[in-house]
Amino acid sequence: MLLVDIILPGLVLGGMYALIALGLTLQYGVARIMNLSYGESLVAAAFGAFSLYSGLGLSPLAALLLAVPVAMVLNWLLYRFLLERLMRRGKDRGAQEIDSILVTFGVLFVIQGAMLVVFGGQYYSYSYLSIPLTIFGSTLAVNRLVALLFAAVVGFAVYLALTRTRIGTAVRAIAVDANAARLVGIDVADLSGLAFAFGGGLVAVGGVLVSMFLTFNAAMGVVFTMKALVVVIMGGVGNVLGALVAGLLLGVVETAVARLVDPGLTLAATYALFLGVLLIKPTGLFGRAAS
Amino acid sequence: MTGLMRAALWCAALGLAAAVVTYPLYANGYYLALGISVLYFTILATAWAMFSGPTRYVSLATVAFFGLGAYTAAVLGETMPWPVVLLAAAAVGALTAGITGLSTLRLSGIYFVIFSFGLAELIRQLVIWYEVNIHKSVGRYLFSAVTQDILYWQLLGLTAIVFLVGWLLGRSRYGLALRAIGADETAASHSGIDATRIKLGVFILSATFMAMTGAVMAPRWTYIDPAIAFNPTISFQVVIMALLGGAGSLFGPLLGVIPLVLLFEVLTATLPNHFSIVLGIIFVVIVMVLPDGVIGLFGAGRWRVRAGKPAAVAVRPMEAPLLAVDGVSKSFSGLRAVEGVSFTVAPGEIIGIIGPNGSGKTTLLNTLSGALRPSSGTIRFSGTVLNGLRAHQIARLGLARTFQLVRVMPDLTVAENVAAARLFSTSNGSETTERELLDLVGLGTVQESAAGELTYIDQKRLELARALALQPRLVLLDEWLAGLNPSELETGIALIAKLRDRGLTIIMVEHVMDAIRALCGHCIVMNAGSVIARGTPDDVLADPKVVAAYLGGDDA
Repeated sequence: MLLVDIILPGLVLGGMYALIALGLTLQYGVARIMNLSYGESLVAAAFGAFSLYSGLGLSPLAALLLAVPVAMVLNWLLYRFLLERLMRRGKDRGAQEIDSILVTFGVLFVIQGAMLVVFGGQYYSYSYLSIPLTIFGSTLAVNRLVALLFAAVVGFAVYLALTRTRIGTAVRAIAVDANAARLVGIDVADLSGLAFAFGGGLVAVGGVLVSMFLTFNAAMGVVFTMKALVVVIMGGVGNVLGALVAGLLLGVVETAVARLVDPGLTLAATYALFLGVLLIKPTGLFGRAAS
Repeated sequence: MTGLMRAALWCAALGLAAAVVTYPLYANGYYLALGISVLYFTILATAWAMFSGPTRYVSLATVAFFGLGAYTAAVLGETMPWPVVLLAAAAVGALTAGITGLSTLRLSGIYFVIFSFGLAELIRQLVIWYEVNIHKSVGRYLFSAVTQDILYWQLLGLTAIVFLVGWLLGRSRYGLALRAIGADETAASHSGIDATRIKLGVFILSATFMAMTGAVMAPRWTYIDPAIAFNPTISFQVVIMALLGGAGSLFGPLLGVIPLVLLFEVLTATLPNHFSIVLGIIFVVIVMVLPDGVIGLFGAGRWRVRAGKPAAVAVRPMEAPLLAVDGVSKSFSGLRAVEGVSFTVAPGEIIGIIGPNGSGKTTLLNTLSGALRPSSGTIRFSGTVLNGLRAHQIARLGLARTFQLVRVMPDLTVAENVAAARLFSTSNGSETTERELLDLVGLGTVQESAAGELTYIDQKRLELARALALQPRLVLLDEWLAGLNPSELETGIALIAKLRDRGLTIIMVEHVMDAIRALCGHCIVMNAGSVIARGTPDDVLADPKVVAAYLGGDDA
């Protein structure tokens, strides 16, 4: 069953991409930080889960309870002490975006350098719940399904938090128009910091879940950043549903290319898809037209 | 400066040049290698700043072009003569930049950054895939007779060329056009600047230099594989160096290259394992502390373009309708913002477009000026159909506009803002200089101020001067009088009347009814996208339909 062999793992991978992109949506769409060190945070969380599992025998799912708060605090500190100054300094959104890209590019190298010092350049993986399971004639490891389930639960919770709570509504208001949000009494700086920290928490979830079934090394962050960016932009900046659809689409396309054409060309496929969407709909699949 | 000092400076410069040229003759292996590093980063950073400095499109794709050049040299180096290899590398770089630029430069800034960020990775993957599947081995050996000395001199030659080209570019009209695009792309294209083509051209130029640098550097490694040629750290270092020095000026990047190459050298020698951590920290500090680069500390600004070429507010013989709008509609996925609007404008006439907010006036102007493409209907401007033409093409035909939300190019001086509108002007009638235009709108005394520092009113005046600098036959004024106090309003009305008396045709969208009464012979009233009345101002303002549109119907 070639079709199932493509669709099923494609959806699992795509679900991961969607979750990872959701965090970036919060960081870029709301806090207006184009965080290029995003993938490095993810890999750092993966290393964290690996260390806890191989060192203390702690299950990755339990590691989430530790990784998420730590990531949130670190991201909040990063925002508070570095990025918020840039936000205040930048004359317009363009200048703020460029500045944040440049600073987080530096942060990328700091995190990557630290991981290289501690773990070196080799690949890591560990075996957790790698029990084969046959669904519709296609074999899938249990850890992938568990990861997908967790991603779905976390993603749905975030979606509810954004659409059903006062703070979530305020956060979405900032994503649409920060100046207008300020005028109706929303504390933009504080909530942006919070959204940035939450985005960091989500990427930690993504990192821990991904570490359960992928091999990773210290230099891999860039690939995750790229894919998250592609998903966010394809789905329309700040659009949760768009990120979900774009993430799943990307996962399936990548799996299809890897299975049918050549595993070495998955990144090329990512870019072709990205460019295709951008050229036809520059604001993304579900993006509103910029006036 | 006295003659003696000048002579001493010349001597020092010549001595320095001689020392740089003869460097391989007295520098030993280690210092020669350091010199080579300084030179190749100088070329890369200068080429990077050539495009990214003025446009502020931060490109993280330097190593994509550098690597392509190096790889081209590795593939062709053994079979072809060296000049052919260099040309081939340049062509590959230019071609790749052309293809990627064509598809990405029309997207706005942030998408470009992201695409360039991944471009190097994409190209590297494609090269690896090609090498593994077609060539059947990942790396290549390149044995050549090129010694370090020759390598140095080749790089030195390329450095001289990149500075020369950068200098010529900065002085040419394309230099100012690039900065205008960086300051406000929309305003630039409505000033007749073909933003897409100029960005693409300079992007290709910059990539060509990067690819040639890669080709020249290739023999240094002997063995080349994608991990060496496409090392992403290079892109990163180039950006830091250019930013540290200051990307806004020609020699800025050089000021960043020298200290950082030396620092990296020390770091790799003393802290090889923590290199990337230190690199990252330095980068963060530079962006936080020195946003304008080292050269910004000295206040050495960009090159200013002096006002020179004379401009004219053209006076043309009266003819049949200058502008004929026929059944123009514009809808945004279901919302019909403008619906079936028709009117004509005779030369020398002032037409007023009035109507409540949201009635489609600005959308109509946007379809006329090329900011939006009409969904249906035709627009003829002195016989030429404007449908489908882009903003800069319409501007060059002599249809200028101002914006409701004022758009000046904030970092350019007042004089440069006006000069930007004349860079690609095709007509050569010449009576009014830039100076006269600025005097006309009352900005004669602030020519050298940055446009962003002007008051709101003065920015509006500057927009008008910039529109007039296009030597237009028709000017669209979008609420140009809004926000003026009574005495400014009087001056503004007098100015528009004066322009009409000089033969200019004007369409004005306005809420200031006194101005409409004083200036317009004819006006059209829009409501909910359609024209609901037309005639003299007094007639339409007395029309019950118009009163109802502004104040609500009887039943309210």
